[in-house]
Amino acid sequence: MPFAGVPWEVLIILLPLAGAMACFLWPRRALPLALLTALAVSVGVAGLGWQVVTQGVKRHAVGGWGAPLGIDLYADGLSLLMLAVTAVVALAVGVYARGYFKARAARAFWPLSLFLWAALNALFLSADIFNLYVTLELLGLAAVALVALAGGAAALNGAMRYLLVGLLGSLAYLLGVALLYHGFGSLDLAILGERVEASPVVWAAMGLMSAGLLLKTALFPLHFWLPAAHASAPAPVSALLSALVVKASFYILLRLWLTAFPPTDAVVAQLLGLLGAGAVLWGGMQALRQTRLKLLVAYSTVAQLGYLFLAFPLASVMGWGGAIYLLLSHAVAKTAMFMAAGNIRRFGGHDRIADLDRVAQRLPLTIAAFGLAGVSIMGLPPSGGFIAKWLLLEAAVRTNQWWWVVVLVAGGLLTAAWVFRVIGYAFTQARVPHAPRAVPVGMEWAALAMAVTAIVLGLVAPWPLALLAVGAPFAGGAGG
Amino acid sequence: MNGVSTWLLILTPLLPLVLAVPALRARLPWPCHVALLPALALLAMPADAAVDLPWLLLGSGLALDAGLGRWPLAMAVLVWGAAASLLPAAGGRPVDARLASWFLLTLSGGLGAILATELVGFFSFSVLMGYGFYALLVSGGDVPARRAARVYLVLLIVADLALFEALLMAASTAGETAFEAVRPAMAASPSAALYVAMVLVGFAARAGLWPLHVWLVPLSRSVRPGVVLLLGAVPVATALLGLVRWLPLGDASLPGAGLVVQGMGVAAVLSALVAMARRRGCASWPAWGCVLATGLFAIALGAGLADAAVWGRFGGWAGLFIAAVGLAVALLVAACAWRRTGGVPVAGRADDAPAWFERWAAAAVRRAARLGMETLPRWRAAGLAGAACLWRVRAWRRALDGGERLLQRWACAVILVVLVGIVVALAGASFGGR
Amino acid sequence: MSGEAALPLLVLASSLLPGLVIFFLPEQRVALRTTLNLAGAVLKLALVGVMIWGVFHGVHYEARLPLLPGLDLVLRADPLAMLFVVLSSFLWLVTTVYAIGYLEGSPHRSRFFGFFSLCVTATVGVALAGNLITFLLFYELLTLATYPLIVHRGTDEARRAGRTYLIYTIAGGALLLIGTVWLYTLSGTLAFTSRGFLSGLDASLHGALAVIFVLLIAGLGVKAALIPLHGWLPQAMVAPAPVSALLHAVAVVKAGAFGIVRVLHDVYGIQFAAGLGLTLPLAMLAAATVVYGSLRALFQDDLKRRLAFSTVSQVAYIVLGIAIAGPLAVVGGLVHLVHQGLMKITLFFCAGNLAETLGIHKISEMDGVGRRMPWTMTAFSIGALGMIGVPPTVGFISKWYLGLGALETGQGWVIAVLAGSSLLNAAYFLPILYAAWFKAPAGDWPAERDFGRRETAWALLAPSLLTAFLTLAFGLLALAPFSPLQWASFIADLEYAR
Repeated sequence: MPFAGVPWEVLIILLPLAGAMACFLWPRRALPLALLTALAVSVGVAGLGWQVVTQGVKRHAVGGWGAPLGIDLYADGLSLLMLAVTAVVALAVGVYARGYFKARAARAFWPLSLFLWAALNALFLSADIFNLYVTLELLGLAAVALVALAGGAAALNGAMRYLLVGLLGSLAYLLGVALLYHGFGSLDLAILGERVEASPVVWAAMGLMSAGLLLKTALFPLHFWLPAAHASAPAPVSALLSALVVKASFYILLRLWLTAFPPTDAVVAQLLGLLGAGAVLWGGMQALRQTRLKLLVAYSTVAQLGYLFLAFPLASVMGWGGAIYLLLSHAVAKTAMFMAAGNIRRFGGHDRIADLDRVAQRLPLTIAAFGLAGVSIMGLPPSGGFIAKWLLLEAAVRTNQWWWVVVLVAGGLLTAAWVFRVIGYAFTQARVPHAPRAVPVGMEWAALAMAVTAIVLGLVAPWPLALLAVGAPFAGGAGG
Repeated sequence: MNGVSTWLLILTPLLPLVLAVPALRARLPWPCHVALLPALALLAMPADAAVDLPWLLLGSGLALDAGLGRWPLAMAVLVWGAAASLLPAAGGRPVDARLASWFLLTLSGGLGAILATELVGFFSFSVLMGYGFYALLVSGGDVPARRAARVYLVLLIVADLALFEALLMAASTAGETAFEAVRPAMAASPSAALYVAMVLVGFAARAGLWPLHVWLVPLSRSVRPGVVLLLGAVPVATALLGLVRWLPLGDASLPGAGLVVQGMGVAAVLSALVAMARRRGCASWPAWGCVLATGLFAIALGAGLADAAVWGRFGGWAGLFIAAVGLAVALLVAACAWRRTGGVPVAGRADDAPAWFERWAAAAVRRAARLGMETLPRWRAAGLAGAACLWRVRAWRRALDGGERLLQRWACAVILVVLVGIVVALAGASFGGR
Repeated sequence: MSGEAALPLLVLASSLLPGLVIFFLPEQRVALRTTLNLAGAVLKLALVGVMIWGVFHGVHYEARLPLLPGLDLVLRADPLAMLFVVLSSFLWLVTTVYAIGYLEGSPHRSRFFGFFSLCVTATVGVALAGNLITFLLFYELLTLATYPLIVHRGTDEARRAGRTYLIYTIAGGALLLIGTVWLYTLSGTLAFTSRGFLSGLDASLHGALAVIFVLLIAGLGVKAALIPLHGWLPQAMVAPAPVSALLHAVAVVKAGAFGIVRVLHDVYGIQFAAGLGLTLPLAMLAAATVVYGSLRALFQDDLKRRLAFSTVSQVAYIVLGIAIAGPLAVVGGLVHLVHQGLMKITLFFCAGNLAETLGIHKISEMDGVGRRMPWTMTAFSIGALGMIGVPPTVGFISKWYLGLGALETGQGWVIAVLAGSSLLNAAYFLPILYAAWFKAPAGDWPAERDFGRRETAWALLAPSLLTAFLTLAFGLLALAPFSPLQWASFIADLEYAR
C-alpha cells in the first residue's frame, strides 16, 4: 500500500483551505477549482478512512510536537464518520450549488464554503479543547458570511443574529477552556480526562462550556436564532448549516462529555434529555404550524437536534450509536430536504406551503426527494432515521426509561404530520396555471441522490456502526 | 354399463348447469328439455348407480338408490318436463333468455339434490335450487308475487342458516358428512335434539310446513302456471326428501321431537282443510294442497321419529310418498289452471299491503338505524371534531406563537443561556461529587 | 449467491425494478409501461410458482442482509408466506391488467403504476418477512406506497381520505414499533419460529408479554381494520377502483391480518397465547368487528362504501379464525385470507366496471343493470353470494372451517356470530342483486360510455370474470392439490404438528 504513510488528516484540512484561496484569487475559475478540491478532499477522507479501518486510531502530532504542548490531530471512528458525512454533504451541495448560484453570489460562495469545510474537518480532527475553540470560531464566521450571501434585510438580520449568538456561545466556551486550563494545566482531551476530578472549577467550566455549546447547537429553548438563519440563507447554505454546522458543536459537547468531564450523576444527563425532549415536541409543533416551507424545514432541524440529546440519559453504546446514526442520516436527509425546498422555491418563485399545488406536480424528482428524506426524518423503515430511532428506542426500553419512548414516538408522529402535510399538496390538481421557471436537472438529481443516500443508510447500518467502534469513543466516560 | 351410468349421474346436474349459460345453448332447440335427458336416461338404467367425487367440494358423491332416490327423480323428471313445455306459453311470448337460465339453474339444483349422497352436496344443490327458484318466481312476476318471493327468500336464508348449523354439528360429531355416517352418529350424539330441531326448522321453512307456510299461498295465486307447477315438485319435495335424508330416522327414537312434528302435521292438515273449505275460488288450492300433503307427511315422519322401529318398517315408502306429493300438487295446479282457463290471475287486493312480518322487519331496521348504527359513528365524529376544536383553540395558538416570540428576544435568550449554564454546573456539582 | 437465497430477492425485485423504471417513464410511453408492468407481474408469478414447488418439497429459501448488529433482514419462504405471496402476486397480475384498462387515458399513469408496483413489492415483502423487524420494514413501506395511490385523484376528498389513512396507519406503525422493540429487549430475537419463540421466557415477564401483545395487535389491527381502528377504510374507497380492489383484497388490510397471523403463530405461538389468555379477547374483538362491519354496511348507499364496510367485517373472519385457536379454525382463517381476497377483488372490479362504463356509484342507481352488463353482474353476484357464504363458493368453505373449528374448541358463540353475519351479509348484498337483475332500469345511466357490442372493455371484464371463476372453482375443487384450502391445512398441520 503505497499511500499507507500519507498524512491524510493534515491534507484534508489544508486542501480545502488552499482551494478556498485559489477560488478567491481566480473567481472565474472558481467552479472547476472548487469541484476539483472537493474531489481531492473526498479522496483524502477515503484515504484516512482506509488507514483508520486498517490500522486503528490515528494520532498525528502536527509539526512533531505532541501533547500537551503541540497540536494533536486525532482520528477515531467517530471523527471519521463525521468527516465522511461532511464530505458527502459537501460534494452534493457542490453539485447543487453549481446550478443554484448566479455569477456574483457564486464568487463568494465557493471560497467560503471550502473554508467552512476546512474548519469542519479541522474541528472533527482536533484533540484539544483550545483547538476546538479555534475551529469553532472559524466555522461560525464562515457560516455567518454564507448566510449573509443571500442579501436582503431578512438574511442580513438573520446573519447578524447568528453572528452574535456564535460569539456569545464561543465566548462561554472559551471561558470554560480557560478555567480548565487553569485548573489542570492541559488542553488535551485525553490528558484532561485523566486529570479532571470533581471540583468547583470543573463544574463551573462544565456549566459554561455546555451553555455555550448548547446555544450553538440550538437546543430548545436556545434555538431562537436557528429558524431565521437557516430559512433566510440560500438553499445550499441552509443545507450545509442544518446538516453540518450545528452538528459540529454537538460533536464538541459529545467529546467533552465522554472524555473530559468527570462522570456525574444521572441528573445532568436527564436534564439534557429533558431539553432534548422539549426540542423534539416544540420543534415538531412549530414545524407543523409553519406556512413557509423553508421555515418548516428549519424548525424540523430544531426537533431533530433534540433527538441527539436524548442519547445523554440513555448513555449506552447503543444509545450513543443511535444518536450518531441519527446525526448522520439527518445530515444527509436534511440536505436533501433543503435542496428540494430550494428547487421548489426556484420553480414557483415562492415557498408558501398552501400554494404548493401549483408547483409540486411538475417537479416529481424533487417531491420524491422531499418524500424520501421525510421518510428518513420521521424514522420510518427502511432509512437511516429508522435505524437510529430503533437504537434509541431499544436503549430506552432496556434502561426502563419509558418516558423517552413516548417522546421518541410522539416526535416521529409530529414529523410524519408535517411531512405529509407538504406531500399532500403534491397530489392536488393545480387550479391556477402559472409560468414556472426551469430548475436545472443537476439540482433535482442532487436532492434525490441525497435522499436516496438517507434511505440506503438504513440498509448498511452494520458498517458505520462497526466503524464507530474503532477507538471505542463511547467505552469510557458514559456520562451518567 | 357402469361407466355409462357414472357419466349419466354426473351429467344429470351438470348439463342443465352448462346450458344455463345463454351462449352455450344459443343454437340448441328445446334446451330445457334436452337438459332433462341425462336424468331420463338414468331412470332407464335398471341398476342402482353411484359415483364418488372426492375432489368436489369437501368430498362429495352422487348416487341413485332404488329406495329413496328413484321415485322422486322420476316425479321430478315428469314435472320438470311438463313445466318446460309450459314455460314458453307463459304470457304468450317466446321464452325469455334469462328465464330459461333461471329455470335451468333451478333444475340443476333440484336434480342434484335428489342424487347427492352427503350433507354438503345436498345442501349446496338445494341452495342453488332455492335461489334459482326465487329468481324464477320474481322474474316476470307481479307485485304480490315479488312480495311473496321476498318472504320465501327470507325464509330460505333462515333455513339455510339453520341447516348450516346442523351441518356443522353433524360434521363435527361424525367426522364426515355422508348420510349413512351422519345418521347413526347423530343418533348417538348428546346434541341430537338440537340437531333434529335445526334440521326440522330448516326444512320446514323450505317445505312450507305449517306454521311456516306463509309464502306458499300468495305465490300459488300470482305466479305464472309453469312455475306454480314446480311448487310441489321443487321446493316442497326436495325439502321433504331432505328431512328423510338428514334426520336420524331408524337410528334414534326421539318421542318428544316426534310428538312435536306430529302436532305440526295435524295442525297443518286442519288449517289446510279449513282454509280450503272457506275459500270458494280454487286459486289458492295448490298451496293449501301442499300444506295438506306436507302435514300428512309430517304426521308419518313424526311417528317414525318417535320410534325407530316404526321407521324401520315403513320408511321404505318415503320416496314414493314424496313423489306422490309432488305429482299430486302438480296435478292440482293443472286442474286449477284448466278450470281457470281464460281468466286472469286473481290477485287479491289485500295482498298489496305488506305482511305483518315485513312491516316489523322494516320498523326494526329503522329503529336500529336511529338507535345505534348511526349514533356511534356520530359520537366518534363529534369526538374528533372536539379534538380538532381543541387544537384550534386560541389559547394553544397563542401559547405557541407567544412562546416562540419570547424565546427570540435577546434578553430572554441570554438569561436562558446563563440559566442553563448555572443549572448544569449546579447539577454537576451537587450530584457529581458522590 | 445460491438459488435458495436469490429466489426471494428475485421475487421482490420482479416488481420493484419495473416500478422504479416506470417512475421515470414519460407519460406517453404507454406500450413500454404496459409491457414492463405485465412482464414484471408474469415473471413474479413464474418465480413464485418455482418457489412454491420448492417449498412443498422442503427447499429452504432464505435471504439475509444484516440490518443491525444481531438483527438481520430476513426473507424466507415458509408455507404461510407462500399462501400470501401467491395470492398477492396472482392478484397483482390480474389487477394490473384491470388497472391498465381502467386508467386508460387518465393523467399521471407513470406515477400510479410506479407506486402500484412498490405497493406489491411491499406486500410480498410483508409476506416473505422472516422476522418481525423485516415485517415492520415492509409494513411501513406499504403505508408509504399506498398513500399516493389513495390520493391519486388529487381531489379534496381524496386528500382528506389520505390524511385519515395516514393518521391511522402511522400511529399504528408507531405502536407496532414500540411493541417490536420491547419484544426484542425481552427475548433477544425476533425471528419467526413455528409455534413461537416466547414460551421459554420467565413467568414474571408474562404480564409484559400481554401488554406487548396488545401493542402489536393494535398496530396491526389498524391495517386489518379491526374496530375501533377501522375508520380509515371506508374513507379510502375514494381511490380508483383498482387501488380499492388491491387495498381491500390484497395489500393493506391483508397485511394487517397476515401480521396478526404471524404474531399469533410464529411469535407467540397459539398455544402459548391461549395460555396467556390472549386469544379469547381477540376472538371477541374480531367477532364484534364482524357484526359491526356488517351492520354498518347495511346502511350505506354508496356501492364502494358498502363494500368497504363489508371488508371490515370479512377481514375480521381471518382474525377470528386464528384467535379461536383450534386447528380447523386456523385452516378457516388462513384460507379466508385467500378466499376473501378473491371475492372482494371481484366485487371491487365489478364496482369499478359499473362506475367506468355507466357512471354508477350508488346502489340506488343500479336498478336493472343486470340487463345492460350481464357478465359484470354475474361476476358480482358470484362474489356477493360468496360473501354470504353460499355453497359452493369459497365463502362457504371458509365459513365451514370456521364453524367446525369453533365447535371443535367448544366455542359455540362463534357459530351465532357466523350465522348473524351471514344473515346481515345477505341483507346487504341480496337487495343489490335483486335490484340489478329483477328491477327495470330507471332510465338513462348516469354517464354511459360506448364500447360497441361488448358491455365494457375487455381489460375490465376479463379480470372480474377470472376472479369470479376462481371464487367458484376454489370452492368446488376445495380438496384439489395446491388449492388454497389444502395449502392452509398444510400450514395448520405444521403449527399443530398433527
